[in-house]
Amino acid sequence: METATFTITGGDYGSGGAASRSLKELLKRIGVDAPAVRRTMIAAYEAEMNVVIHAKLGTMEAAVDQGQVEVIVADEGPGIPDIELAMKEGYSTAPATARNMGFGAGMGLPNIQRNTDRFSIQSTVGHGTQVRFTILLNPEELGSAAANSVYIEPERCRQCLECLHACPTAAIRVRGGQPSILEHLCVDCTNCIAACEAGALILHVNTDLPRPSVETLLVLPASFLEQFGGSVAPEQVLDVLADMGFRNTRLTEEWEEALRKAVCAYAAESVKVHPVISPVCPAVVNLIQARFPSLMEQVAPFRTPLEAAYEELTVSHMVFVPVCPSQHSLLKLQRLLTKVELVAPAALINAVRDCRTGLKPVHDNVEAPGTGLKPVLRGQSDQNVRLGNRTYDLLQVSGMRHVMKVLDAVENGMMEDYAVLELYACGQGCFGSPVWNEDPFVARARWDRASVPMVSSAQPTAHHSCVQARPVRRTAPLHGRIGVRLDSDMRKAMEKLAKLDATAKSLPGRNCGVCGAPTCAALAEDIVMGRADISACVYREKGESR
Amino acid sequence: MTVSELAEQVGAKLITPGSHGVEVQRVYASDRISDLLNEVSDATLLVTNLSNSTLVRLIQLMDVSSVCLLNGAEPEDSVIAAAREHGAALVVSPVGMYETCGRLYQAFQGKRT
Repeated sequence: METATFTITGGDYGSGGAASRSLKELLKRIGVDAPAVRRTMIAAYEAEMNVVIHAKLGTMEAAVDQGQVEVIVADEGPGIPDIELAMKEGYSTAPATARNMGFGAGMGLPNIQRNTDRFSIQSTVGHGTQVRFTILLNPEELGSAAANSVYIEPERCRQCLECLHACPTAAIRVRGGQPSILEHLCVDCTNCIAACEAGALILHVNTDLPRPSVETLLVLPASFLEQFGGSVAPEQVLDVLADMGFRNTRLTEEWEEALRKAVCAYAAESVKVHPVISPVCPAVVNLIQARFPSLMEQVAPFRTPLEAAYEELTVSHMVFVPVCPSQHSLLKLQRLLTKVELVAPAALINAVRDCRTGLKPVHDNVEAPGTGLKPVLRGQSDQNVRLGNRTYDLLQVSGMRHVMKVLDAVENGMMEDYAVLELYACGQGCFGSPVWNEDPFVARARWDRASVPMVSSAQPTAHHSCVQARPVRRTAPLHGRIGVRLDSDMRKAMEKLAKLDATAKSLPGRNCGVCGAPTCAALAEDIVMGRADISACVYREKGESR
Repeated sequence: MTVSELAEQVGAKLITPGSHGVEVQRVYASDRISDLLNEVSDATLLVTNLSNSTLVRLIQLMDVSSVCLLNGAEPEDSVIAAAREHGAALVVSPVGMYETCGRLYQAFQGKRT
């Protein structure tokens, strides 16, 4: 990885662009291809000129590796009071001098967003602004690296076939004594992990506890705080985490709430087709892309809460606790200029327990706890969406079986009485992840009960971990899954479908799973696609068929 | 049409010939940086009143292939140097944005018929 830092001087229009030029030289020396250099230059120059126009001093920090170019442009300037407004095309506060030179048309920030693959902006009035963007050098490669995070430990498999029947998208096969996953069907939910008692299908996350520093920011789901029984309040868990050195904590629920408000506003203002589906759970978004592509346009154009937190927070060291494969997949998209570490939920739970019972300190030389940043704890927000003089409900549905039923109903136009749907793959939302010990209903109820707002102990500062949670708009539209159809050629796909139907009819229809496929229809598809042979069916050999 | 052919037809003065040797296939006229950044290409002639220092940056950062300046305003040496270094063609039209664009449009129409 190559990194470089350049200084930007505010007000100096003559040298404005010098940092971008140095960055261009670096990119060319590394051999980054021309279209990526071009996109980086548009974004870098716009960001640099914003510093020149509005601030006194700034820096451009860049990092390049095989997969991406990441740039952070930070300044000591007046800050932006309303980022949503600043992002509107044509809105500008630039002085006449800048406008006369062709700047200040109110297109800079939108232009950066349009030309980059990831973009975030943070600003504190009176302190400064930070713009961060990433250009992916080979997006298709990165996309496949990010897909699918269910981890298989083949030697643990007892061939009980529970996972086959648990998978809502029929993505699992158990053949040759071990499970395998058809990636184009897997939506990264937790059903197979929950079903597998042998531990052959797991969420595989680093179990070593990251070493915290004063800067470290821990990003947690609220459900973590409710894994220690009814006698341990969420506040106490935060205190223990602070004792361990994790003094700065944020909850992903803050972004969930920001998303909820944004989606309700979106549903009330600018949408004709109801219900709007909130992209609150990444596994459900995956499911819609794979199985309900006709509903992709009904998904509100925002990023999931975890993605928003991941994109928006720009602290030098962050620790995330992914609680399901779909979250893990999102966090696999690396960041270069921020150290991001992941830790397994179970590992952190154990560390909190040990620390609480005084068994052992987590790290010997943890800096003395001071006034860290603690999240505001609160329960459910208002769930009504007002449209004109009618009030529509926001409906929460959780658990894959229920979610799929509801999505079917949405496809059939039977859900129009709801303005917004919040669909979660796990029962009771992230409280239902199989990584937890507490029952989802109990943990969720305890969390909702803790709805008295707790005043944050930290004073707001310029520290970037204090940034207000904001919804992040999705810049590119959702696209359907590749490989879900039987064949890219429509005619061949129809032929295959006919063959599939005929094959399925010749099978017994017991859906026993002994062949390694979850249903007879799935086996028929495997046969047509060349993934299995019809001899895999034990009953058919006995002459049994429909 | 090459830049020098176009310059001749619209009565513009060729300052640097450029080394891209690419045909001009489209013309884009604007004084706004954000627009120009997005519209630059190997085959695009930019028509603009942009100030010298900004134009230098645009040429350096975006590999501009050709630029037409206006109102007979000769570019500063810094612009000419940047154009030479990056192989950009530079021409100066004796008239303003409106009339220059009109002439360029006619030159392209004439080519087509």
